[in-house]
Amino acid sequence: MKRKNASLDALVVLTVLLVSAVYLLPVYVMALTSLKTPLEITQRRYLLPGGAPHLENYATSLGLVFPSMVNSSIIALTVTLLSLVVGGLGGYFLSRFKWRIAKILFVLVSIALFLPYQVILIPLVQIVAATGLALTHAGLIISYLILNVPLASVLMATFFFSVPRELEESAEVDGASRLQIFFKIVSMAALPGYASTGILVFIQVWNEFLIALTLSTPYTETVQVKLTEVKGSFVALYNLQMAAALITVLVPLMFFLLLGKYFIRGILAGALKG
Amino acid sequence: MSTRRSSRARARAAEAAVFALPLLIVLVILFGMLAWTLYMSVSNWQGTAADYRFAGLTWYRLMLNQDRFWVDIGNNIRWLVLGVLPTTVLGLLLAYLLELGSIRGVEAYLRTLILYPAAMSFIVTGTIWSWMYQPDRGVLNTLLRAVGLDALTSGYTTDVTSAIYWLILIFVWQFLGIAVLILQASLRTAELQEMVEAATLDGASRVGILVSVIVPNIRGGILIVVSLLLISALKVFDIVYIVTFGGPGYATDVLALFMFIATFQQHLVALGAALGVVIFALAFAATIPYTIYALERWF
Repeated sequence: MKRKNASLDALVVLTVLLVSAVYLLPVYVMALTSLKTPLEITQRRYLLPGGAPHLENYATSLGLVFPSMVNSSIIALTVTLLSLVVGGLGGYFLSRFKWRIAKILFVLVSIALFLPYQVILIPLVQIVAATGLALTHAGLIISYLILNVPLASVLMATFFFSVPRELEESAEVDGASRLQIFFKIVSMAALPGYASTGILVFIQVWNEFLIALTLSTPYTETVQVKLTEVKGSFVALYNLQMAAALITVLVPLMFFLLLGKYFIRGILAGALKG
Repeated sequence: MSTRRSSRARARAAEAAVFALPLLIVLVILFGMLAWTLYMSVSNWQGTAADYRFAGLTWYRLMLNQDRFWVDIGNNIRWLVLGVLPTTVLGLLLAYLLELGSIRGVEAYLRTLILYPAAMSFIVTGTIWSWMYQPDRGVLNTLLRAVGLDALTSGYTTDVTSAIYWLILIFVWQFLGIAVLILQASLRTAELQEMVEAATLDGASRVGILVSVIVPNIRGGILIVVSLLLISALKVFDIVYIVTFGGPGYATDVLALFMFIATFQQHLVALGAALGVVIFALAFAATIPYTIYALERWF
């Protein structure tokens, strides 16, 4: 579709400038503010750095959010691993067993994929409260696992589709069982798919707020809930608030910047083939 | 012979069970909770202790008689229309421009730039934009005043009539990247490229090609983007919670926030369940076209 054209290039340049302003300004101001003192912020020179950068804001904010980052890491990592196991098995079933029950499962998974959390929130609270799971990370882990397995299954199924059948057929001739084929051949060939799915699930769990807000206790408070507390007070400590937000966003952003390829493939797999 | 075949079928079923069972258990729990909520919405549960006595449609009737419910429905419709349409159209235009553009490096730069908010939580974007919007000390008004454009300053999310639109703008900002990404991928199919080549040789204009060749041929991609945005706009909670908490007054309240407040702050659990059912019904209806499309492509 590429054609050389001056007016088109001008339009592209204009778009680049506009999009850059709209997408860079918020983070730019945020980063600058996180390095200022409250007094420097009141000078309202938001586009300019203040005096010397106050890195101690980050130490203070990290002290505030660190326990919640540990909680979120435990929860998100466990959910990611378990979702990959269950989603890998389920995805293989959806992609290889063309039975009527697979079709029914697929419809149920599609509905579950889009299920608004609100409609299962109250039972979830009941279960977690009644079983005492709220006091440990297990409550949130199980909740997120149930909610993310449908996504993981669909994503893994789309990745398994692109694994050539010939690999499996020759192993089958050699007498390997379906499980051996799944673990030794298909899963190995679909490792990038596991990476994409894992990143997507991890980011989803790390960023989730509604379930965390209702289920987390002082022992299990997640980063998103903690951030609302840092923002919460009426004496807005913008510098700490911005530093805390930047620290917590660093984790998913690292995945995005370092493993962006897998992140993008995950989104596209979920979108285009599912 | 037949016993051997049946024992093999049984072995195959056992293998299938290993793959399907964990997923099946999760789905049973999920849909069990859905049914539980459905029943709760016709129970008489108010207060902190569970009360499963059947109350019929009492709480639905109460819900329908609340002004707040209708304000929320209106607001949710605004979210659905303004969160989905502009994002899809802008996403399509940007994706097309990126495909046409011939300046090297531009594509990768722009794509990364508009996609990074997709990795951030609504709480973080809400935190940033709260401060951008803050009326007297916020970034936007300060910058506007600094360049003498006082007339353009605004109350943003504190202004009763326009608050909701400023909230929706945050959503558009955050989801535009995903829309571009998906639409761009659907622009890149070989068949479509050929059709565009042919139309170009026929002397069709770029806008003409976009409208009459590209759009009809990427309906699948558009359907996916629209469904994804519809569902995300419908269950929006975090942005409203962190930026306005439904205020000023009820001006930016949405069903999801009402559901949360009714259930966990007012302890009208049956009402909360009824609101949850309404949200689910809307989400279900919104994704029917997508589910049918996906099912056709899958089987």
